[in-house]
Amino acid sequence: MKRWIAVGAALTLGLAACSDPSAAPETSTAEVTWPAPDTKLDGVKLTIWAAQNSNTVPKAVVDGFQKATGATVEVVTVPDPYEQSVQTKVATGDKPDLAFWQPTASMLTAINARTNLQPLTGAPWLPSLDPALRDITGLLDQTRYAALVTSPAVEGVYYNREVFAANGITATPKNFDEMVKLARDLKAKGVTPFYEMGADRWATQWWVQVQLADAAKAGLWDRVNSGQEKFTDKTILDTIKTYQQLIKDGLFNADIKTAKFEDQGTALLDGKAAMVVQVNSFFGQLQAKADTATLDSKVGFFPISPSGNVGTFIPDQSNALVAFKTGDAKREAAARQLLAYWMGPGYQSFVTDRNTVSLQTAVPSPAGVPKALLDVHASLPTSVGSMQALAVANPDLYINLADMIAGTMTPEQVAVATQDQFVQLAKAAGYLK
Amino acid sequence: MTILQNGAPGSITRRTHPLWFLLPAYGLLLVFFFLPTVFNFVYAFTDWSGFKAAINPVGFENFEQLVSDGTLFRSLRITIVYAVLVALFQNVFGFGLAVLLERDTAVNRIARTFFLIPVLMSALAVGYIFQALLKGTELLAHTTWTVVVVALIHAWKWMGLSMLIYLAGLKTIPLDVIEAASIDGASRRTAFWRIRVPLLAPAVTFNVATALLGSMNGFDIVQATTGGGPARTTEILNIFIYRTFGQGLFAQATTMSLVLFLLVALMAFPVIYVLRKREEVL
Repeated sequence: MKRWIAVGAALTLGLAACSDPSAAPETSTAEVTWPAPDTKLDGVKLTIWAAQNSNTVPKAVVDGFQKATGATVEVVTVPDPYEQSVQTKVATGDKPDLAFWQPTASMLTAINARTNLQPLTGAPWLPSLDPALRDITGLLDQTRYAALVTSPAVEGVYYNREVFAANGITATPKNFDEMVKLARDLKAKGVTPFYEMGADRWATQWWVQVQLADAAKAGLWDRVNSGQEKFTDKTILDTIKTYQQLIKDGLFNADIKTAKFEDQGTALLDGKAAMVVQVNSFFGQLQAKADTATLDSKVGFFPISPSGNVGTFIPDQSNALVAFKTGDAKREAAARQLLAYWMGPGYQSFVTDRNTVSLQTAVPSPAGVPKALLDVHASLPTSVGSMQALAVANPDLYINLADMIAGTMTPEQVAVATQDQFVQLAKAAGYLK
Repeated sequence: MTILQNGAPGSITRRTHPLWFLLPAYGLLLVFFFLPTVFNFVYAFTDWSGFKAAINPVGFENFEQLVSDGTLFRSLRITIVYAVLVALFQNVFGFGLAVLLERDTAVNRIARTFFLIPVLMSALAVGYIFQALLKGTELLAHTTWTVVVVALIHAWKWMGLSMLIYLAGLKTIPLDVIEAASIDGASRRTAFWRIRVPLLAPAVTFNVATALLGSMNGFDIVQATTGGGPARTTEILNIFIYRTFGQGLFAQATTMSLVLFLLVALMAFPVIYVLRKREEVL
């Protein structure tokens, strides 16, 4: 019998000793050292986690880094939904050395940056970055945790130049109201003005967010973060109502409830719709469907907000990397070294390989970057942070909006559900007591 | 467990092995079955999340929040509707197939094999195949009827197994009982409904219970076919849990899975009790 009691006691103790497996002591922001990018790393093996749409991004950098240092770098694709999968893995104690990650405050909070990530304080590449983009994102409570490698996404309007020209539109709209007026004119001429993807859901939130750009500039998300303002208050609720009204007015595609991301790209390219409110990954889809010359002649971009042409930036997972605290000092230093290589000697070949806009003043963008992407990048310095960039939590606004499009929720219910979830997430993250 | 009281009448008195030989088996049981269940209870009362390292007890806060938020009840309702539909379809189809394919002809043997293939297929593959087949139709976009469509897909995948169990049940019915019935003047129809069907009670118990309780824990087929859509009308509880966990709200997700566990347990006892009652008349 005594033996059984002993066994029981041991198990009880074991139970008490169990805690969050991802928990590690929160380190102080002590001096971060940055090894020279070409320091030899023979025998060191690094792992980078990437999503299905970002796993080819590091290819040129990894090849160059392996050659320069002798390290082995493995890029592991984590299945979609990427953010959920990564959070689940990290929660159960599984960590890579580096990972693609949305560099916004809400998503850095969601991965528990203070505990899990290496601070990138004093990163050697910062002075060479375009000053307008240096501190645009990647920071949580003044500590840098993410390295921005490509131009962050901007919410704005992609339009079909041929449809505009065929309907006598020579200039892009100067503000949101002008855009709506233009849409009504197009509808009167039998053109579908906007195309939305109700079935794939996630783009629905851009419509609310671009309408909030000016409010965001005036500190809307700070007030939401501190509980002074809610999704249910007039500012945000009105934008949801406007979105629903525009749909009711027939300014969107008739199959808005069942349309998918893929359909949205096809519709804009084929001129079945004149405009799409989207982010950079939408343009990525267009690039898979058409070559640069076709895109330059067919597709244009303009940012939009109620007061003018203010973009709303929303860096996503493919734009940035974070370095994890793995507990292995050698590998942690090697991970920082890889970032320094990426943003240092490897940057030119990286932007050339990816045919993407350069973030560094000294490194020119490759000649083949599509015009629309240059326009998106040009809108960054004056653009304002999205909900994801500025709010401390990222509620499923898009799911609720998609439900509204499907007809199962009213704008008021969308606002209530989003607010409730925001509070829940913010509380869990230690905000909004 | 083996009874080891010395001298009690009818008990085993011969100790062939020392008792501690059982320890490894019970150790495994404890670590892999008992502890996870205990943790499911413990974490439901904490604020465990992906946002911070510390885990603090919070009492019933997670439960209060879930109750005050309508999403849990909606997901529970959808889960129960889904499970009942699956149980119904899977058993009707399985039973029908078993009766149709009862005779051991070559054609029937081949047909049985074909109906069993979906059982062996990956549930996600089944989901994606149907998603591709039904793409663009109203079937996966209707806010009322999609749940029925997904339940049909689930039943389609598992009906082969129900068929197999009903077949086994039909085969075990002694031939003399049927012969006695026909001698007593019962028609084939009467013999089927009054004798053979009641004698299938144990098979019904197993099939209904596994289909109902198994689909309460459903996830893969729904996730692959609709992902919970349209407008979350097929968001069964496990998809909701998955979404919540993915947001880093681990304690809340644990609380929901505890609620699901309790619900399954609450439903299992009466369902199995009632079905067992039917077996008693045998």
